[in-house]
Amino acid sequence: MPKTLHRLVYYSKNAIDLPKDGLEAEVRQILTAARHNNPALGVTGALMFNQGCFAQVLEGPGEGVTRTFERIQRDPRHRDVMLMAFDRVEERGFATWSMAFVGASAEGRARYGGIAAESGFDPSRLTGSRVFQLLRDLVVEEEDQPCVGA
Amino acid sequence: MSQQSLTRKNGPDGGASDRAARVLSAVVEGLSQGILVLDRCLRVVRCNASFRALVGLSASESLVGRYAPRLLAERAKGGCPLARGVRAHLREGSGTATLSIDDGRMIAFAVRRIAGANWIVVLDDITAASRSEAFAHRLARHDPLTDLPNRRHFLESLSRAVGQGPVALLCLDLDRFKPVNDTLGHPIGDALLRVVAERLCGAVRKGDTVARLGGDEFAVLLEGLDVAGATDGLARRLVDLIGRTYIVDGHMINIGVSVGIALAPNDAADPDTLLKHADLALYRAKGQGRGTFRFFEPGMDAALQARRRMETELRQALGQRAFELHYQAQQDLASGRINGFEALLRWRHPERGLVPPVEFIPLAEETGLIVQIGEWVLRTACKEAMRWPDDVSIAVNLSVAQFKSPRLVAVVAAALKTTGLAPRRLELEITESLLMQNDADHVGVLRALHDLGVRIAMDDFGTGYSSLSTLHSFPFDKIKIDRSFVDGLKRDPRSAAVVHAVAALGGCLGIATTAEGVETDEQLQDLIAKGCTEVQGYLIGRPLPAEEAIRLLDPIRSPTAARTQEH
Repeated sequence: MPKTLHRLVYYSKNAIDLPKDGLEAEVRQILTAARHNNPALGVTGALMFNQGCFAQVLEGPGEGVTRTFERIQRDPRHRDVMLMAFDRVEERGFATWSMAFVGASAEGRARYGGIAAESGFDPSRLTGSRVFQLLRDLVVEEEDQPCVGA
Repeated sequence: MSQQSLTRKNGPDGGASDRAARVLSAVVEGLSQGILVLDRCLRVVRCNASFRALVGLSASESLVGRYAPRLLAERAKGGCPLARGVRAHLREGSGTATLSIDDGRMIAFAVRRIAGANWIVVLDDITAASRSEAFAHRLARHDPLTDLPNRRHFLESLSRAVGQGPVALLCLDLDRFKPVNDTLGHPIGDALLRVVAERLCGAVRKGDTVARLGGDEFAVLLEGLDVAGATDGLARRLVDLIGRTYIVDGHMINIGVSVGIALAPNDAADPDTLLKHADLALYRAKGQGRGTFRFFEPGMDAALQARRRMETELRQALGQRAFELHYQAQQDLASGRINGFEALLRWRHPERGLVPPVEFIPLAEETGLIVQIGEWVLRTACKEAMRWPDDVSIAVNLSVAQFKSPRLVAVVAAALKTTGLAPRRLELEITESLLMQNDADHVGVLRALHDLGVRIAMDDFGTGYSSLSTLHSFPFDKIKIDRSFVDGLKRDPRSAAVVHAVAALGGCLGIATTAEGVETDEQLQDLIAKGCTEVQGYLIGRPLPAEEAIRLLDPIRSPTAARTQEH
């Protein structure tokens, strides 16, 4: 699994027990750390945080994705991490983002809220590729809007 | 020796000793140890290149006749810490010492008198040797795979900590690690253990100890006044953290961890007992479904003692023939005849009386005693069946442990041979779970048994996970529908549908279907209507001792035969 491009999608539950302000600060910190660490590993991706859940796409060389995911796995700020996909892919979906963030715009919230309601917050009812597509659509929509921590 | 060499050796006066002195001088000069020879007044007689190098003297500087303590003091001032050490030890006279130099070198120092009045100082750079010694020391105390302290080191830490204050000891055992090693290979298993070690180290506080005790066993030691409060949270965190998915070399791996915890001084005041108690708690955590943690409780010891006692008694029972078989009739619905019996194991305990199988079979399975007990069951059942008419068969249950024994096929063949029972009269019952554990191997054993001519029945059908696929994996002779479906016939339309479907499936495949746990006439009629071919249950007959069971086969005295004739 040397240089081949991989994509990993996971979904987890928020374990940050803080009021709204503190929560936003934590998510900002997560994004800052991701944007700091990811370029060296060749990792790009997108993070969605909303309604107490995280969903994230990581893409890059297998080794970089594996190391990044292992670091994420050890993070106590989330729990019930569910790995939805880890596959070889031909190209990146977030080539220009060290870590795009979805959840800033009202529209994104509405869209995601709808999906969350539709799936009843049951991650097993969303597939990895569905989450990937969802994130990509939302990132494209939000591309021109200011992102938290950007 | 030739004449010529003799002549040479006895050549001009002084030649030989000169040569010897030159050789000796060259040897001394070339030694890797630093050599300094002094006269009785500590003035330099000679020194070698290594000595000059060690104390930083140039080769050109003439030292002969210099007062050594002053020379060394000058070098110390000139920035040679070794010279200071040598000077200090020289003043103490004869002796040895190990000098640690600021730059990390270790120098062995020795000074002693030679040839009467002279002194010799020897300096030896032992840095490399001491490093490899430290390395060996580290190796003996650390696990080379994870670089964590090993069992020996951990036990030392534990002993020290227990005497100093409150301690929490967490013993960890990975769940489902062996299949990873077996299916993905040891290199992946080793890489996984390293990641587990990293996760553990990342989760504990600074100053806590994480160790690998061996295999997939780890331990964590917490010290300090607040351990009792902190332990619960940490254990919860470790179970969560270790249970999260791993990606190793591109493989997604899921394992878990069971944790047993004991606290000192509450649970035990000495390290051995503390470790034993943490192990007991771990044993309990594993027994309660794994992927969880348990604190030691005093009752655990008693429970384990009781278990040990029972294990001993089970072994004795085997030797003392304290097991007996009871036989439960199976009725063929087409003819109304009893066409077979299922052999059921009972244990006649000297104090507790007849012990039901549910109380001792799990332990017998776990300890492997079931293999020997199973052999006895096979022989005894076949022998008993020889007393019955030729068309009455005997069903014997096989456990997973028996399947793992390489002797199973030979044991069955021997039981048939020694009793003379026709193979087709022996029916071996296996459960679905067996086929789900290691398909290829187990199916191979089933085929070998089939080849002996015995029949194979699928027991408790419907209680496993993948019923239809297991049916597909082997040509079973009979399906036994689990009693829970029969029990639900009346109340639960889904149970009724399952029974109906299985009976139909059996009909299509030409496999007999036996409904278990039949207790009422209503159920019997329902099962006949649904197309089952055989029934078993209290309605037909309870499990009976051999002498009573055989009476059921006597058509005149059999109540069952009389009753079924009414239908």
